[in-house]
Amino acid sequence: MSSTPAASSTPLPHRSVASIRAPSVAGQSGPTTPLRSISSSFGSPSSLRADDEIIIVEFGTRKLQVGFSGDPAPRGCIWFGPDQLRRAGDFRDWQPGYRHDWRSAAAGGSWGRDYELWRYDVRSVDLGLVGDKVERALRDAFTKYMLIDSRPRRMVWVLPSSLPVPLLSAALDSVFTRFQPPTISLLSSPLALAVGAGVRSALVVDLGWNETVVTSIYEYREVATRRSIRGGRMLVEQTHNLLAKHLPQGLEGDAESQEHVLSFEECSDIAQRLVWCRPRSTAGQEEREGQEEEDAAARSATVRIPLTSWLSPTTLELPFDDLSEPCETAFFDAQYTLTSFDDDELPLHLLVYRSLLQLSLDVRATCMSRIIFTGGCSAVLGLRKRIFDEVSRLVQQRGWDPVRGKAVEQLLANPKLQRAPAAARRPSNTPAAAPRAQDVGEERDGVWHDRSATPAGPYMEPETDPIEEQLKRGGGHSDQQPPVRGELRAIESVGAWSGASLATHLKTMAVATIDREVWLLHGAAGASKPNEVDHKVQRQSLGPGGLMRGSASGGAWTLGVWGAV
Amino acid sequence: MATAFTPYSYIQCPCSDITLTDRRSGGSPTTSEPDGDDHAFDPRAPRSSFSLYPLEYLMYCEDCHQIRCPRCVAEEIVTYYCPNCLFEVPSSNLKSEGNRCNRSCFQCPVCIGPLAITSVETKPDPNLLAAPDNSATPLAGPYALTCSYCLWTSTEVGIQFDKHNGIHAQLAKLRNGGTTRLTAKERKERRKDPSYKGQPPPTDSQDLDHEAQFANLKAFYQGQLADPNAADAGLALLGDLGFSSPTSLSRIMSIYTGGGLLHDKKAKARLGAMREALDPDEGLLVASLDESAAIAKLRSEGLDGTASAAQRLGQAPNLVEPPLHGRERFLDSLRPVPHLLRTKRSKRCPVCRHIISKPESKVQTTRFRIRLVAGSYIPSISVRQLALSGGTGTGTSASGAAVPGAPLEPLKPAYFLLTFKNPIFETIKVTLGAPVTTPGRFASRVTVICPEFEVDANTDVWDEALKDNAERDREQRRRRGESISAGGGGINSANQLEVGKIWERGRNWVSIVVEVVPASLALAPGDPPLREDEDVLEIPMSVRVEWEAEMAGDEVGAAPSRSNSEAREKRELAYWCVLGLGRIRQR
Repeated sequence: MSSTPAASSTPLPHRSVASIRAPSVAGQSGPTTPLRSISSSFGSPSSLRADDEIIIVEFGTRKLQVGFSGDPAPRGCIWFGPDQLRRAGDFRDWQPGYRHDWRSAAAGGSWGRDYELWRYDVRSVDLGLVGDKVERALRDAFTKYMLIDSRPRRMVWVLPSSLPVPLLSAALDSVFTRFQPPTISLLSSPLALAVGAGVRSALVVDLGWNETVVTSIYEYREVATRRSIRGGRMLVEQTHNLLAKHLPQGLEGDAESQEHVLSFEECSDIAQRLVWCRPRSTAGQEEREGQEEEDAAARSATVRIPLTSWLSPTTLELPFDDLSEPCETAFFDAQYTLTSFDDDELPLHLLVYRSLLQLSLDVRATCMSRIIFTGGCSAVLGLRKRIFDEVSRLVQQRGWDPVRGKAVEQLLANPKLQRAPAAARRPSNTPAAAPRAQDVGEERDGVWHDRSATPAGPYMEPETDPIEEQLKRGGGHSDQQPPVRGELRAIESVGAWSGASLATHLKTMAVATIDREVWLLHGAAGASKPNEVDHKVQRQSLGPGGLMRGSASGGAWTLGVWGAV
Repeated sequence: MATAFTPYSYIQCPCSDITLTDRRSGGSPTTSEPDGDDHAFDPRAPRSSFSLYPLEYLMYCEDCHQIRCPRCVAEEIVTYYCPNCLFEVPSSNLKSEGNRCNRSCFQCPVCIGPLAITSVETKPDPNLLAAPDNSATPLAGPYALTCSYCLWTSTEVGIQFDKHNGIHAQLAKLRNGGTTRLTAKERKERRKDPSYKGQPPPTDSQDLDHEAQFANLKAFYQGQLADPNAADAGLALLGDLGFSSPTSLSRIMSIYTGGGLLHDKKAKARLGAMREALDPDEGLLVASLDESAAIAKLRSEGLDGTASAAQRLGQAPNLVEPPLHGRERFLDSLRPVPHLLRTKRSKRCPVCRHIISKPESKVQTTRFRIRLVAGSYIPSISVRQLALSGGTGTGTSASGAAVPGAPLEPLKPAYFLLTFKNPIFETIKVTLGAPVTTPGRFASRVTVICPEFEVDANTDVWDEALKDNAERDREQRRRRGESISAGGGGINSANQLEVGKIWERGRNWVSIVVEVVPASLALAPGDPPLREDEDVLEIPMSVRVEWEAEMAGDEVGAAPSRSNSEAREKRELAYWCVLGLGRIRQR
């Protein structure tokens, strides 16, 4: 700091150069141009490699998005479908009178399987086929949307963090042999979403195709994940069941057997176009009643749905309200009690609530005010609000107390057992009370010691956050409002792809960066566990050139959260 | 199924074979099928459709003597152009302007037809006396994009343009419904402009569309990553000195701060000190979860108000709206689609880097400068059904042509004529191999009557015609079943089926017969139904082509001796192909 006034008082250029040497300025890490593409500034402009263009690929179960780093949105999106499985030169799709014979393709429980890239249950997956599908989709995207030649380019993949290693390995195999990228970096999509929302911590609710995954991110780390099989696939199944129920002849007992009467394509299309989600029913009963009379006429609205994939083309006419049924059954199943669900099929609101509940107090307070809804099913109109409202209600009812049941109620109702601190417990269970609860906890120190055994007890002492401290000290942003904590709030992200594009554009290092030669040598078996890799070494070897030669020379590398074989 | 079946042939590029075995040993332990020499290629496997190509799709590298499929060529881009206006786009534009035509080429979002720019104002009827005499002047006033096919106009989504040119730029500033927005460029300028510095930029969350949020986030992160103090004091002055080059800077820094480790630590500390975005200016957008208006709209409009999957798929990424979360399903959220650019590509062999295909760089021409298609190097196979009366075995005679495309009777032998046509100027020797039964659920029996034969060179047609009669006679006799040595019975055996004998022979082609016994398609009660095309009788066949070619000049070396013409080398090419013969009749 001392040299800064000196530099300003003597505006001679050479003095300002000298000011770099002054240790105080160097302590602030000196002048930096971290955001310039460094690799292009030295060396010959190589025509064999296009180093500056990094391709970002986001993999989903049903689609794949591709673009360049630094772009706000992907350039192209490829959906997987049965026409992708055809041979080259097979143009029967365009023939007049041709109709895809979905019935035979759907036989044996593979209804809709052609529309997916992979299933996480790798026992039944042909891994070679997955590699081929990835290759063809990427090649299509590169030719149609990216308009790039086949020079090797670095790639960044955005993947769900629960992707099994065999699938990842098959995809990497295929792309490394077919496209020759020098390196592929892996980014987890919840993390990329958090970056894309501008937050360091978040609760990412990914309403995906296979399943709904709730990931808690704290300080750019995934701290907890919970999953439920209630996802897009279930929604389309339920849509099919709804439509099948309304078909003229009924199903004559076919509903029990897994026979599908409509094509996946049609059901998926209707699910995307027409299915909506009812708002939460119990809240604000009286105001809704008034509203109900108002649009009673609208309530009787019906929707005509032409169906072509049934035995004979027909047009269904069903009440608009019925179209919220699939969403109800697929995501909430409100007719069952909350205790009747298995661990892998929790209704979404319970899933979100439990995910928050299992977090420690500080993390929960931060995450609950940074909820990001994403995934294909977040496009179901009203679903995000419904989940949000249901979670708020759960929090209102239960607070953040993991212990529930009749015994607890008895305990609370029993005046004999009630001690003085128990009385103070109730107010702390009101929603959004995390910061306030801390105050209470500090007042009654003895209580806090008593209850420290429960993991999510509300009376934890606030930990000092070194990063916050640092910010307060050095940043001079003391006038900034403190970060929002402890209230439920949903925020928008630019999306996982765009988040990854941001992160890559800012030259953030991915934990898992795989070198082509090393991969072809060892495959997934060469990956070490994430904690065995010294990232400092990797970072340094990155050097100013951004070339990852260090890992090729025998350094350990990792697949990050995707694990090791 | 109603249409007649056309026989076809597909060729598997040898490149996929390598990776197939490679991957099997390395990556996937689940495919445990034994790998041996005898494993026949299975055209029914779902993976096969990724490696099979019609002959017309394949290229050939003259130097490696190998087939090159679209998967195993290296591509280079010759030109970028718009398929609608045929304007050639410089490659530098591509990075900045994106992959779509930024002139006035738009596709209809409903029916993909081309959109034309028309005036919204209707022309006054010239028959009216009151009409002013302005029919000659072009129409002024707001313009819209209209589709001449389905009559969609951009006014349906509330988009009108003030000028009739620069539509792409105007569209980027308009949201559906007609509200204007700031483009990324304007936003950046506004941020720099001191006159705007005092007043806060728009912070309305409705205004924070995808592009703006991304830009705000980027600016925020960049600001966080760069130390503000350093940027104020040091860097600004250094920039004047020409020290802004990052390499020199980092070198100086590493000299003065004593080693990279220290520097790295500091850099990390700085990274750690990044805070969160706190307001819309920094890219934080609080979600508005209330979607009741959209639900009400869906209720009133029903299915007709929503866009189909294909229409949504055709849309360019929507950068001008805040996250839609399902509202993109409505028809009025569709936007005109700028045409995707296309490329002309030249192809190289990935091994020897020789060019195997190179189109003319001019957009309008469709000619190629270099094009080494596989069809002029490897024999083509055509399939025709042969109707033979009588039973199986030798000695049956042909009785007219079969009905082409008719379904095959199960369990009844059928005969197919495979004609191999030699495109090169050397005589080739063809060896065929086919598994006795076809792989898959329904195993048909296959017998190649003559698995080994020679096809004459593709000589000039005139050579043939100018040969004297006697020679031609002898030639013809040789062709008819190579029966000169076997005695005179050769000529009238033209329609005889004999094991080891070819059926017919021409100047550069040979026909052989394949006998198939189609399997019965009867399904056991528990079986899954027939999959699409499972009733097609497809036979895998390994083809091995051998020929002797002149040594290439450079391979002979420094001594171009007189033996050059005699120096011939043996070449061979082996690949799998799949022949689709016909559909088997279902009971």
